This record gives sequence, C-alpha cells and structure tokens, in this order.
Amino acid sequence: MELEMIDLTKKFGNFTAVNHLNITMNNGVYGLLGVNGAGKTTLMRMLCTLLRPTGGKVTCNGKEIFAMDGEYRKLLGYLPQDFGFYPEFTVQDYLLYVATIKGIRPAVAKKRVKELTAKVGLEKAAHKKMKKLSGGMKRRAGIAQAMLNNPKILILDEPTAGLDPNERIRFRNLISELAEERLVLLSTHIVSDVEYIANEILLMKDGELVHRGTAGELIGSMREQVWKCCVEKKEVKHFMKKYKISNVKSDSHGVELRVISREKPDQNAVLEEANLEDVFLYYFGEKAGEDNAAI
Amino acid sequence: MKIMLQFELKKIFHKQVNKIVLFILAAVVLAGSCLAIRDVWYYREDGSKISGLSAARQLKKEQDKWKGYITEDVLRRVVEEEKAARVSSAGDEVLFKIQGYDDIRDMINIGFSEVGDYDYYMCGNITPDEAAGLYDRRMLRIKEEIKASEEKAGTALSEKEREYLLNQYESLKTPLYYEYAEGWKALMDSQYLSTLMTITIVIIGFLVSGIFSDEFRFKADSIFFSAKLGRNKAIGAKIKAGLVAITVVYWSAMLLFSAIILLALGFGGAGRMIQTGRNFSSIYNITYFQFWLFTLLGGYIGTLFILMLAMFVSVKSRSAVVAITIPFALSCAPMFLGRIPAMTYIMNLFPDMLLRINWYVEEYLIYEIGGKVFRGYSVLIPIYLVLFLGMVPVLYYGYKRVEVK
Repeated sequence: MELEMIDLTKKFGNFTAVNHLNITMNNGVYGLLGVNGAGKTTLMRMLCTLLRPTGGKVTCNGKEIFAMDGEYRKLLGYLPQDFGFYPEFTVQDYLLYVATIKGIRPAVAKKRVKELTAKVGLEKAAHKKMKKLSGGMKRRAGIAQAMLNNPKILILDEPTAGLDPNERIRFRNLISELAEERLVLLSTHIVSDVEYIANEILLMKDGELVHRGTAGELIGSMREQVWKCCVEKKEVKHFMKKYKISNVKSDSHGVELRVISREKPDQNAVLEEANLEDVFLYYFGEKAGEDNAAI
Repeated sequence: MKIMLQFELKKIFHKQVNKIVLFILAAVVLAGSCLAIRDVWYYREDGSKISGLSAARQLKKEQDKWKGYITEDVLRRVVEEEKAARVSSAGDEVLFKIQGYDDIRDMINIGFSEVGDYDYYMCGNITPDEAAGLYDRRMLRIKEEIKASEEKAGTALSEKEREYLLNQYESLKTPLYYEYAEGWKALMDSQYLSTLMTITIVIIGFLVSGIFSDEFRFKADSIFFSAKLGRNKAIGAKIKAGLVAITVVYWSAMLLFSAIILLALGFGGAGRMIQTGRNFSSIYNITYFQFWLFTLLGGYIGTLFILMLAMFVSVKSRSAVVAITIPFALSCAPMFLGRIPAMTYIMNLFPDMLLRINWYVEEYLIYEIGGKVFRGYSVLIPIYLVLFLGMVPVLYYGYKRVEVK
C-alpha cells in the first residue's frame, strides 16, 4: 500500500492550510505532529476524500484517490477529531449502520461488530445508547467503526484528545495492536502518543512538512542541546525570555528548568538527553505552548 | 440497500422530537375528524338541532326521500316545497322541512343568483318553471361569469379558453343524480381536509428536514462521507427514507381521517357528481369519490415537491431549522399573499394550490399552453410531479458533492 501526496495544496480563501506537500507513505504507523492550526486535520480530510485539494493530488498505489471514488474509500478507516454519532442509536446499531455504509454484507457485519466490540472492550455496552457512553467509550466505539472494514489505510485524527491517562494508554495500545499490515496515520499534538507507537514522525507547521523521521532521527536533527538547571523563582521570567523552556518544575528550593539552548544557559546547568517533547518545542517554538506540549 | 434504508428510517422515527410531532399529528387527525363529523346537523320539527352521528342517521332518512335523478320535475317540486315550507313554518322550523333537499336548493340558489353573489332565499323567489330550466341556466350563467371575470381582470379570455369552459359545462351529463352523501361532503366540502394537509406537511417537514443535515449536526458527516457507499448508495437510502416517511405519514393521516369520517357518516354518495351542491359551477365533472382521490393525489404531489425542496434546503444550509421553514412558508404564506390582487395570478401557480384542491375546484382556473387549454390542476399536478422528479437528482448530486470543512 502506497499513499503519495504530490504537491498537495489546500487553500481556504487567502489562507493556505496545506502548502505544496510531497509525502510518500507505505505500511507502518506515521505520527503527524504539529501545533493546532498546522494543517493536520485539513490534510487528513483530503486523504479521506472529504475535501478536494486546491492543487496537487493524492494517489493510492498510483491511482488518484478521487478518481478511485468508492474503491479508495473501501480501503479507508477514519476516526475524525470531532467524532460524531447518532445519539439514539445503540453501540451495536451504530456499528451495524456504519458497516452498511461501508458496503459490508449484513452477515459479515454482524460477526465483525461482535469481534470489534469485544476487542475495544464495549461488549457489555453494545446495547447502550451512544449518547450514554463516557468519552473514552465513545472513542473506542469510534476506533471500532474505523476498523469495521479491516482498512488498509487507517487515519486517526487526534484519537486520544480528551481521554484520561488510563484511557489514553489503553487506546495507544489498541492502536499499536491494530497497526499491523496497514498504513496508519495518526495525528496529534500530544507528543507521547506518537513517541510510543509511531514508526515515523512527520512534523507539520503552517501547512508544510518541517521534518520527518524516526523519534531518534528527529532528536538527532536538533542543533541545540537540552540542559537542566535550578534557578531562583525571580529568574524564571528572564530564562523564559531568553531560551526555549520545555519544562518548569517548582519546589521549595527553587525552580528546575529544562532549557533548549546551543550554549550552557547557567553555570550549574547539566546536559540532559533530549526527548521528542524537546524536539517539538525546538521546531514549533513559542506556538508549542503548555497545551500543545502536554504529555 | 434495504438495511441502509431501515437504519435511515430508524434515525428518523427514533428522534424524540419526531415522536412528539407524530403524536401531535395523530391528535390533529382525531380532533379534525371528530369536528368534521360534528358539523353534520339535523333540524328537528321544533327547530332545535342535533349534530354528529345521530344527526347523520336522521338526515339520511330525509335525503333518501329525494334519492334519484334531479329532473325538471324534481326541481319544480323543490321550489314548490320550499315556498310551502316558508309559508307554513317560521324560523328554524323551516330547516326541518328543507333539509332533505338542501343541496338541490343550493344548486338552484347558485344557478339563479347574480354573478359573484349568493342568495340563500333565491329558491323561494323563482317559479317552479324557472327552476326546471336550471341546467340551461347553468350554461347561461357561465357566459355571464366569463364576462364578469374578464371585466374584473381587465383582460379577455381567448376564444379557445371560452370554448373550453363552455365545452366543460356542456359535457356535464344531466340530469344529475342525488343521494345521501354527508360522509363525502363532510370530508371534501369542509375546511378540515386542507387544514389537515397543511399541518401534515409541516409535521412531515420536521421528520425529513434532519435526514441530511443531521449528519452535520451530529458531526457524523466525516465518517458518512469517507465510507465506501457514503457518496452514492447511502445518499440514495436517505432519499428513499425521505420518500417513505412522506408517503407513509401523508397517506396514513389522510386515509385515517377519511376512514373515520366515512365509517361514521357512511360511504354512500361516492358516485354523486360534485356539482350536486356547493360546487355547482365547477368545471371538473367528477364524482365525490373521484374528487376525493384527485384531492389526495394532488396533495401528495404537492407534499412530495415541497418536502423534497425542504430536504434540498437542508443539504445546502446544513440546518434542519432552516429546512423546516420551507413547508411552512410554501403551504401557509401563499394563502395570505394570494389575497393581494396583483399576486393572485402568480400565487395560483404555487404548490400550496395542490393542498387546497377541494377549495379551488369551483374556480375557473384554466391555462392556454401551446394552443391547448388545460384546467388549472391538469397543469399544476404534472408540473409539480416533474419538478419533484427533477429535484431527486439535484438533491442526490447536491449531497454527493458536499465537502466536510
């Protein structure tokens, strides 16, 4: 399975959401990392044929996806960021309905729904109305619907957003399990999600691909180093202005800062091993605020 | 496709608001039919009156005495009896005596009144011999009506239009047959049927306006359109679900309303011509049963068109609220706008006309198209049928091309 974006561009009026993107993806898990507004969702919507590109094209095994129409969507599983459902439907009804519009034969659909509700841990909630599910359960129903047709291309837009830590870990493991033998594109601004499960990470900023590679390669691509230093509370402001700070931890003795800098920021500063969060901050700078850099 | 359709119908009928509006519709049907039944009156000898089922039973006995063809002799007798009743009784006591042939009186009153006027006492003011010439008088009257309507509109009818109207009048087979038909009259000659149609269309509007826009409202559009059949068969299933909902709810409401009234008041008189009463001047030479069928079919086509348009608006606006205003606007607003003289001609072409066939069947609505003259409804029904059919692909491709932004 090869998905190729060729000079892919999407404009909304004067605003360019995706700018001349050229990416080729094969089987494996790809983590799409970027701050809010980087163009991740627009890109994913184009890959799901929900939006037509302003320029360029997307091909699947060499064929243009809009020309493939239903044949392409047959290969597709999609969990959108704002995952919507029909509130009066039970989980089982909802999944059976999605199976129907995915063109799965009724007998196969029933079997598949049973398998997937068990896999995502919704067996007991199968007859519950969708509107009565917790946030985590809804997301699990969402991943189940995306997997109904056993897709060759699985696109997950912010799948762990809004989940509590337990649910997130559970969800991450589930995605890893499902990732075999298919192309998975996972978009998030939660760094740890992609760090754990992505084989390759795509960094996106202002509609463009900034960098791509494994977590190690991305860390290696940083031209600055990561330092840990303890400073007094009154000095924090000064450090924040001068350096990129990837973490601030206060205690009774002062404040421990994690600083990204080419030179040693303080006499007592100790060199630290960089992680993906530092990469995120390094590439996205001020835009990668607390919210975006959350683990 | 069948299962997809079942799910689409489930989406419609499981919505709480839709359950409520359907309950309201059922209540309206029951209330409307009860009111229509209650509107049948029977006058006792002392002038007091009763209504409803027992009134219908008594009325039938009285009207059965006049059952048969309305010949010249019958017309003479009606005038004689009317005059005698007016002399021998006072006040509402007269009504007891005339109720057996009240519809024939109505024909005479309409036939001999001035154009644009209705004289309730005309039957007692003409001679029996004059009444005997009612059918000839009808022919004369249409000429007077044509003249009056030309003067009012300021434009003359074409020769073909005039000829068409006269032909329609001439082709009415006389003498007309008279029998008890209170069930059909309660159904067709009252305002309840057209009011029910208007309420039904607004209520079905609630059901169908969310079929397409709910995908956006529930944010289920992304999954819908990224599914294999999301841009083809699934849209077809939505359109089918809309048509099924419209058809089932419309015909259920209309047939239930008709059945309650006819079961209560009787099916008799189905073969009676509609000209035997208040529609004496109508150019539609049809029986009450044909009139009922024609009204319901016309209403169905109007409903299909208006609600298909509402569904299309829901696709374009992505809002069920905006879509719900369409059936309301198209079925109610023209009633008021049509009262403005300058708007009358245009409003006569609006689809709401199809919801009020039983009211406009006595109007001389005709159109000349390509040298041929047609009755108003012979033009409106095919036009809206074609427009409805044309809306289906427009709706399909309108939704198929939707982008999820």
